[in-house]
Amino acid sequence: MLTKSRDLKDTATGETALVHIDTHVGGLITSKGNIAPGAPVKQAADIFFGNVEVDAMALVDCMEPIGLITRNKLLMKLFRLYGYELYGKRPIITMADTSPLYVNSKERLDVALDMAMSRPFQEIYDELVVVDPKGHYMGLLSIKDLVIRQSHALANSIVQKELANAKASELEKISQVKTQFLANVTHELRSPVNAIISLAELMQVSCDKGYIGQLKDRLALLISSSASLKAIINNVLDLSKIEAGKMDVIYEEFDAVAKLDEIVETTKVLLGNKHVDVKLVTSEQSLFIESDPVKLRQIVLNLTSNAAKFTEDGSITVRMEVAGKFIGVSVSDTGLGIKQEDMEKLFTAFGQIEDAKTKSREGTGLGLTVTKYLVNLLGGEIRFESEWGRGTTFFVRLPIKK
Amino acid sequence: MDDQKKTILVIDDDENLLMATRDLLENWGYRVYTHKRGFGSTAAIDLVKPDLVLLDINMPGLPGDRLAGLIKTFEATKRVPIVFYSSNDEDALREAVSVHKVRGYIPKGDIYELRQKVRQYLNCNCA
Repeated sequence: MLTKSRDLKDTATGETALVHIDTHVGGLITSKGNIAPGAPVKQAADIFFGNVEVDAMALVDCMEPIGLITRNKLLMKLFRLYGYELYGKRPIITMADTSPLYVNSKERLDVALDMAMSRPFQEIYDELVVVDPKGHYMGLLSIKDLVIRQSHALANSIVQKELANAKASELEKISQVKTQFLANVTHELRSPVNAIISLAELMQVSCDKGYIGQLKDRLALLISSSASLKAIINNVLDLSKIEAGKMDVIYEEFDAVAKLDEIVETTKVLLGNKHVDVKLVTSEQSLFIESDPVKLRQIVLNLTSNAAKFTEDGSITVRMEVAGKFIGVSVSDTGLGIKQEDMEKLFTAFGQIEDAKTKSREGTGLGLTVTKYLVNLLGGEIRFESEWGRGTTFFVRLPIKK
Repeated sequence: MDDQKKTILVIDDDENLLMATRDLLENWGYRVYTHKRGFGSTAAIDLVKPDLVLLDINMPGLPGDRLAGLIKTFEATKRVPIVFYSSNDEDALREAVSVHKVRGYIPKGDIYELRQKVRQYLNCNCA
């Protein structure tokens, strides 16, 4: 009748669960080990030596427990000089504890533990003998197992709690950054929308008054505001594509010079009525490359529209040159420049983690993040040089062939 | 008659919006001056002596909220009424108004609110 279960873990979850103090001891029986009181000590010793899992056995006579023999007690006696010879053939009852702690299976765990703990020190860890209301033997409750189980569960719950805390604070941080980022993007979207609303209103005024010349000026501004709105939306959409891992490269052969010319023209639109000169400088008449024209446009246009945003007067120059298997495209402006402390976080979408309330710079930090990602996607590199107050140059290097 | 026109100075780095606001305000009968960056604003105020300043907040270099504090430190400019004119969230604007002790704010993009509030702030200005 040796059916001892030492498996302390809950089989369903693999976790050790904390045992609550109001549990009945009947549910916590760890072993049903028992032996007849008249069995020789030798037989009990064989059981203990043969089963390392067995820590104790109840001495049961016709279902009624009358004693407890623990591994410790048996070993202590047997290892004495001639212990085995002296005791081996005697009945086990002669060396057993004949007044172990009996507990009713309906007893609450805390009550049973109180009783167990008030025993003399050397018996504190002895098994409790669990009996049913009729006094019949049900099994043993191992204090040692219970302690191990409780401390496992406790340690586990502390680890779980710490993990949960760490995860929660991480999530909170991410959500904070995302909220701030959203606030910044919203602001960036509002600016051109507000300009568009005002301009449309003004065009209505011009129409009413019949001022055609004014209408034309305002239309140019309206188009420039719409173009910058579109650029922001494109970047937002691109970033979500990047985050979802759905950005594909579609290679085509196209004329890079013509593409850059087109971008220069769009940049002029973005500048509206600003007195900033935009030009393309290259020694090539045309240069066919194998790349993704949509992404190239996005890359260079992001750089020129940044330049347009931060340049009040002077010029924006797009240069292109061939260097071996690569083309180098640079965008220089005579604008505001980038402060030393801002340089490091330039390419991170959440780099401009300034509160929208106190935000001093225009821009979401979105354009350059998307740009860098696209450059890498096309197998290229991007870097920049800048002097605060003097201007900035971005250098992009892209492979000519796929 | 022209001397009775109220003068408004609009400070904003966004040229499109600056022009649009100027034209709108002029259309409503105000004399309007524009200044396209934070820097040099106090000199502009001193020169123009406006009845009201519409001040953008998000400007590179010298943001409007800091500029408001600066304007208030100079003897020549400290009495001019300032109103934030910004695309920022209204809660943020309300907070900025109380922090920087300016007259109020007008959210960008609502032309009717612009018209009404400008009228309101100019009437309030009994200096």
